[in-house]
Parts: sequence; C-alpha cells; structure tokens
Amino acid sequence: MRPVVRHQYDAVIVGAGGAGLMAALEASKGCRVAVVSKLYPTRSHTGTAQGGIGAALGNREPDNWEWHMFDTVKGGDYLVDQDAAEFMCKEAIRVVYELEHMGLPFNRTPEGKIDQRKFGGHTKEFGKGPVQRSCFAADRTGHMILQTLYQQCIKRQVTFFDEYRLVDVLMREGRCCGVVALCLATGELHVIHAKAVLMATGGFGRMYKVTSNAHTLTGDGCAILWRRGLPLEDMEFFQFHPTGIYKLGILITEGARGEGGVLRNRTGERFMERYAPTLLDLAPRDMVSRAVHQEIRAGRGIDGKDYVHLDLTHLDRRVIEEKLPDITDFVRTYLGLDPVRELIPIQPTAHYAMGGIPTNLNAEVLADEQGRVVPGLYAAGECACVSVHGANRLGTNSLVDIVVFGNRGGQRIAEWAPKAEWAALPDDPEGSAQEQLARLEANRGGDEAARLRAEMQQVMMDDVGVFRIHAGLQEACERVNRLRAAYQGVGLSDKGRRFNTEVEELLELGGLLDLAWVTATAALARQESRGGHSREDFPNRDDAKWLKHSMASLRGDAVQLAYKPVTITRFQPQERKY
Amino acid sequence: MAHVRLKIQRFNPEMDSAPQWREYTVEAEPTDRVLDALHAVKWHHDGSLAFRRSCAHGVCGSDAMMINGKNRLACKLLIKDLKQPIVVEPMRGFAVVKDLIVDQTKFFEKYRSVKPYLIAEEPPPATERLQSPKQQERFEDTTKCILCGACTTSCPSFWANGEYVGPAAIVQAHRFLFDSRDQGAEERLEVLNKASGVWRCRTIFNCTDACPRGINVTKAIVEVQNLLVAHAKQGSTTDAAQ
Amino acid sequence: MATSSALSSAYGRPKPTGGLELWSWVFMRVSGLLLLVLALGHLVIMHLINSVDAIDYDFVARRYIGWFWRSYDLLMLVLAMVHGLNGLRVILDDYLHQPVQRRIAAWLLYGIGGALTALGIVAVVVFQPPSSVGVP
Repeated sequence: MRPVVRHQYDAVIVGAGGAGLMAALEASKGCRVAVVSKLYPTRSHTGTAQGGIGAALGNREPDNWEWHMFDTVKGGDYLVDQDAAEFMCKEAIRVVYELEHMGLPFNRTPEGKIDQRKFGGHTKEFGKGPVQRSCFAADRTGHMILQTLYQQCIKRQVTFFDEYRLVDVLMREGRCCGVVALCLATGELHVIHAKAVLMATGGFGRMYKVTSNAHTLTGDGCAILWRRGLPLEDMEFFQFHPTGIYKLGILITEGARGEGGVLRNRTGERFMERYAPTLLDLAPRDMVSRAVHQEIRAGRGIDGKDYVHLDLTHLDRRVIEEKLPDITDFVRTYLGLDPVRELIPIQPTAHYAMGGIPTNLNAEVLADEQGRVVPGLYAAGECACVSVHGANRLGTNSLVDIVVFGNRGGQRIAEWAPKAEWAALPDDPEGSAQEQLARLEANRGGDEAARLRAEMQQVMMDDVGVFRIHAGLQEACERVNRLRAAYQGVGLSDKGRRFNTEVEELLELGGLLDLAWVTATAALARQESRGGHSREDFPNRDDAKWLKHSMASLRGDAVQLAYKPVTITRFQPQERKY
Repeated sequence: MAHVRLKIQRFNPEMDSAPQWREYTVEAEPTDRVLDALHAVKWHHDGSLAFRRSCAHGVCGSDAMMINGKNRLACKLLIKDLKQPIVVEPMRGFAVVKDLIVDQTKFFEKYRSVKPYLIAEEPPPATERLQSPKQQERFEDTTKCILCGACTTSCPSFWANGEYVGPAAIVQAHRFLFDSRDQGAEERLEVLNKASGVWRCRTIFNCTDACPRGINVTKAIVEVQNLLVAHAKQGSTTDAAQ
Repeated sequence: MATSSALSSAYGRPKPTGGLELWSWVFMRVSGLLLLVLALGHLVIMHLINSVDAIDYDFVARRYIGWFWRSYDLLMLVLAMVHGLNGLRVILDDYLHQPVQRRIAAWLLYGIGGALTALGIVAVVVFQPPSSVGVP
C-alpha cells in the first residue's frame, strides 16, 4: 500500500494545457483552485500547436463570426452542434483579444493589429474562397498560448501539483467529489477532495503508430471516466492531418499551405486540383488526407511508396524562414532537407480526437444521451466533445476550443463552487487506485507492455485509420480486445516508488487500449462516411440514418452504443464540396 | 536497423549510494533520435530507466540532458550524428531525482523570481493593443524559450554559484523587458540587478550553444545588462537635476 | 516614495537603478579596456623599444622627473589592483556561500589589496630622482 496524502480544494483542474490553464485562471477568480498535471505545465501538448487560432477579427480583410461558424459546421460534415459552434465562434473574438491583453506576442499587421493568415477550410461569405482568419505567432502559436497562460497563472498564484498523474476520479451517488493522483517524485497517492473537477487531459493519438501527438497523449481522463461508467461521444471520429513528416508523424502546419505551399504526387502534379477545385490544398484535413491516401493507392506516391511531397520551393526564402521557422527547423533536423530548395516527404498522421467526454455549453459533463449533467464534473479541450468539431475539426479550431471552453468551464466553476455544498468522499476513496497499482506491482515485468503497445498502434493504423471497412474494423475490435485481456497480466520490472515512469506508462497503456476498443467499436457501428470517418463499404454520408452523435458506455464488459440528435440551428446539411 | 551503443548514468537514490555507468546495445535506425534509443532501452532492456519526455520533436522541453558532454534535447539529436557509445547523463547543477531526471523545483523558482508575466495595469482597449511588427520582432527571439533548462545547467557560473538566477530566467525577463506593452521593467530590473542577477554572467556562451531553440541567450543577457546601465545613467542625471 | 514608484510604473519608466554590482560591472569593462592600452603601452616601451638590459635605476629615475610617467604608472597600478581584487571578490562569491565567510574574505581582500596599493602609491609618489639624473 502506498502512503496517502489528503488535500481539499474548491476545484481541481486535471491537465495543464491550454484548456486547463485557461480554466484555472478563470476559476481562481472565484474559488481555491489546484491544477494537477502529469507534466510541468509548459510541457503540455498545446505548446506544439503551430499554425494559429481562428477568430473573425477581420484585421486583413472583412470577416464575420457567422462565416467562421458556417465553416466550422461544414468542416465538421454537419455533425457539429450548431449552438455550440455559434457560441465558440462569437467567443473566439473576445478570447483572442483577451489573450493579447495577457501578453501573447502575436505577429502584427503593418498597422500593429494581430496578423491573420489563411487556413484549411476557412472561407469568406459561406464558402466563396479562402479568408485570412488564423491569428498567429509565427508557427508556434500554441507555444505562445501555453506560455502566456502559464505566466498568468503564476501572476495569479494558482496552486500547481506538477508531475502528479491522475489515477482515479471520485464519484459518490452520481456526483463528482475529487480525484486521486500519484505523485511521481515520491510514489505517494494524493486524494484531493473537491467540489468541482475539470478534466482537461487532452487527446489520445498515441493509440496510432504514426501520430503527431506527444508520447504523453494517452487519453487518461477519458479512459478513467469511461471506466467509471460515463459515456464517450463520437469516438469513431479521429482526424488524420495530411502533412505529417514521413514515418515520424511530426506535424507540418497547415499554415505551410496557408502561406502558399502545395501538395504534389510522383508526377509532380498538384493533385488537389482534382479533389477540391475551389480550396485546393486548403481543403479541410479529412479530404486532403483521403486525397493523399488515394494518390498513394493509385501508385502515385513518391517512388511508389506511401508518401507524397509538400512543395514550398516556389515560396520566398524569407516567408519560409520568418513565418514557418519551426517547421523549417524540423525538416532540417529530422530529414536533413532544406525546405527552401527541396520537397518535403509527408504522409497523413493521426492528429486529433473529435470525440471525447460529452459536455454542454457550460463545459459540464453529460451522464447520458438525454443530457443529464454530472454535478461537479466538467471537461474542456480535446478530451471533451461539445461538439464543435463534429466529424472533422477545422484547422485552428482546437486552439479556439481550448481557450473558449476552458474559459467557460472556469467561469462556471467560479460561479458554482463557492455556493455548492461539499459532497462527502466515498468510503475508502483511494482503494481502487491502490488496487490498480498493487496489481501492476504484483505482476511480473518485462517487455510485454511494449509488445502490446506496438500491436495496438499497428492495428489502429491499419484498420481504424483514414479509410475503414467492416472486416478490418471487426478484426480491430477483436484484436484490441485480446490485447486488453493480455494487459491484465502486465506488470512492473521496476518496483521502486521514486519517479517510476514505468508505472505511468503502464497506466497510460491501459487507458489507450480501452479507448482504442471504443473507437473501433463505434467506427464499426457507423455505417456511413462522414468527416474523419470514411468507410469504404459505405462511401456516402447518410443523413437520414446517421445524422446523430454516438454515445458509447461501458456496460459489463461490453461497449454499449446509444445515439443522440445533432443540434441544427442556422445551417441545414448540404453536400460538402470545396 | 543497426546496433547502437549507449552509456547511461544510472542513479536511484532509493537504492544506490552513488551514480554508476551502465552500457546498453539496442537496435535503432541511424536516422532515429537519441530519444528513440532511450525508449528501446526502457521498453526492451531495462524498464527501470527513468527519463522525462513528451512531444519528441523539440518543442515541449522535457528531455534536456547531457549527451556526449553537451546539453541537448534527446529528441533533437539523431544517432547518426553522434560518436558511440553515446554517453548520456542528467543535466548538471540540480539534484538527481532518478537516472536522467533532475529536480527542477529551483529552476522554476528562479523563473518565477523575475516576474515572468506581462505587467500592464491600465485597462486594455476593447480590441488588441497595437504593436508594430518591428516592436514585436524586438523580443521575438526570447519568446521561443521552452524552459528546458539546457542553458542554465550548462552555465559554469551557475554550477559554481547556485544563487545565480541563470540564463533561462534572464531570457524570460528579456522577453518582457523588450515588449513595448510591458510596464514591469522596474520590478524585474530590481531582481536582475542583485548580486545573484545578470552581473554573474561571464559571457562564456555555453548557454547559447546549449539552447535547442537557437536563442541567442548571451546576447539577451548582455542586452539586459546594458539596459540596467542605461537606466542607472538616466537615473544619475535625473538625480543631479533635482 | 510610493507615489513616485507608482507614477513611474504608470508611465513605464523604470526607477533609476544602480548599486554596487552594476557599477562594479561597468568598472570592470572600462578598467579592462584602459588596462589593455596601459599595459600594452608599458610592455612595448619596456620590452620592445628599450631592451631589458638598458633598464636600470637611471632609466626609471629619468622617467620620474616629470609627472606624465608617474601618473601613467599610478593609474595602471590602481586600476590593476582594483580590477583584480574586484574580480577575486566576484569569483569568491561563487565558492563562499555564507554571508560571514563572504564578509571575512572581502575584508581580507580589501586589507591586503589596500596595503599593496598603498605601498605602490608611496613608491611612485615619494620617489625623488637624484639631481645628477637627467644629465647626459
């Protein structure tokens, strides 16, 4: 048994990326807040977002939040809840100004306003052509957002539990009342009793072999709530970003195409002309990723292999080095190529989970498809599903999502928590966490976990990737389930308590396996193609049957799927052409 | 796949009385990162090896460590560019928690001490504060800092004297001192003017060499020193006038 | 005081800073540059223009008739001593961490340095060239 330390805070924020820090800032205006994060906050994955944050400021050309909303809805293949998209696109403007006031060093227009550039799927006048909407700081906008929010948290003296890993979320009679976290440095368990808990634990791209996601993006919050019986929404929708560095998956921002970069196949053809005649290379990510795959399948990959080229060579050296300095550095470091003169080999890379913990506009977590709220439990950012991204997220909208809904969740907590009564902790609050860790310690260690992880990543890549088909999905479900069974036997080779990163990796693997299972199961059920979910056996969108969100829950040892309708306000579903 | 030899400094204060070197041979591609080789050790040879990592492409700043004698990010060095065995040790100047993981509490305390946040008390306008592209470029270099600690732990002045705020904190201060929107220079310069502040820099340039983000750290420190001198001169002329 | 600092912060103009560390840093740079010129000049005159064999009591006495070389040597002496001692003080701060140790070390430095400098000053200032010097 591990030693246990107890704390009490009005609110606990789990995760210190953009959503978590934004929520912490807002919540700390009304109550005592602690932020629990398995990484130092500045290591969070928000920091790797490159291209920009979308907001209809209209600094470069006329723009309008309604156009932004339309693009978001259409980009999401009409699975977006439109009340949420409206809220987000309006709020985006206010929050971007707020970020600037906090000191975020945006690039500037000659008049000194926040500079904006084009980005995939962002258009003017409801699809008439690309618009400059992405507010950016070179190609490190996420880094600047993360740094700026962390700076503000220091200014406000927010309490941080750095390098504490979430192990359990405590519930009593349907209400959330705290978390259990593992202090990595000491191996102690910390029970934090709280009135409100906000999950901002990020995505889970590490279930795939080729991914732009950090090693630590393992869906911890989603998996823990799922095991507690709460539903996960729209898990079948996973976005593949078209331009990942070949084999490594490291992201090359869409901003590279926003600045004028184009995709070319082995013949040198700008093949997007055939797939999206209006927006070309700036079509939404799901379409471009499919186009890249189709080119590769047709034998038009470079040298017949599974990649194509991103061409920046026609751009001015200054544009590349000043507006895209980081990706220039990545290409030089990892490929030994100079993007000013050479073509960059790219392939789609697993990038973003559209699905996650279902929430409403107040970032409150929903317990079921009827919209019943779990008192005291909130979620924001990639781990949540509001749903503003529907079946496919638009570029820049992840940053919009985290700051808008992080802000909203924090506000709600600041209003609610001071008035709310304390809910008692369950009996033996740390029991389940102790048990989980004791099992890992009791089992024999070895490289079994690495083998399970590698197999899961390969299966998900092959069968639950850009294109999916019934037989493949079924096999993926079965194989992932076998891996889940095998996981019960994995254990630690390192039984030490101090900074045991093996414990962390095993916990992460357990979560990923569960989420992979849910993803494959939900994908198998959805018999249509929509956004990031593309079925070869059902190539068309089917609004009559499938214009609905899936809600997957753990019942016994099975995934139970329920569905709920999509909120449609301003824009009726249309055919999605660019 | 080729054999890659690594020599890693291992230390678990729970069990060991002193650090010791261990050698490993793993399979990796020459174009793989050192981080991939460390993962190969951890996943297939010795699960107890402890190191931090996250993004794996040089942006999050988790995996700064000393590799072949220099502070580097393990995810930004390719195996083919290194002499083998690749010698990996924790960064110097901080207590080792375990293996390649050092205690960064002090590092972040120093970071906090320079008030690393925008100080501008008057109410902001309804839209953005204006700033010309030139004003923004003035401090752009130091906004790139990812707080990995490679600079501070490569600085001999810091090794010798742990009171020194260190290059990373100065870089962070620089980012605000040269931001046209910031009004906190007074408070920050007071911290940096102490004996533990910028004056401890001996322009050794290790920090600049170590920075994985290519920040010209030494230049930033000298700019802060010059700013302090300029303010002191300005101060003495106003004093004389009074 | 409170008002003036609030005001200066409102206008974004930092209050004047100064202090020992700042001025000692400036001094090190200025004295370093001056010493470079002075010491090089000294070297050139003593070792290149004149041969060491030619330097004797008479040579020194002849130079010290006027004020120029005395001032030159005095300046070099004082700058070198203060520059060196201050450098030592800063370096000792790296190795001595307790305030008491630092104070003792500083006083020792000031004491020895002051004595040596005084000795040098006395030698340069009170030296009386014999009246025979200067006659070829």
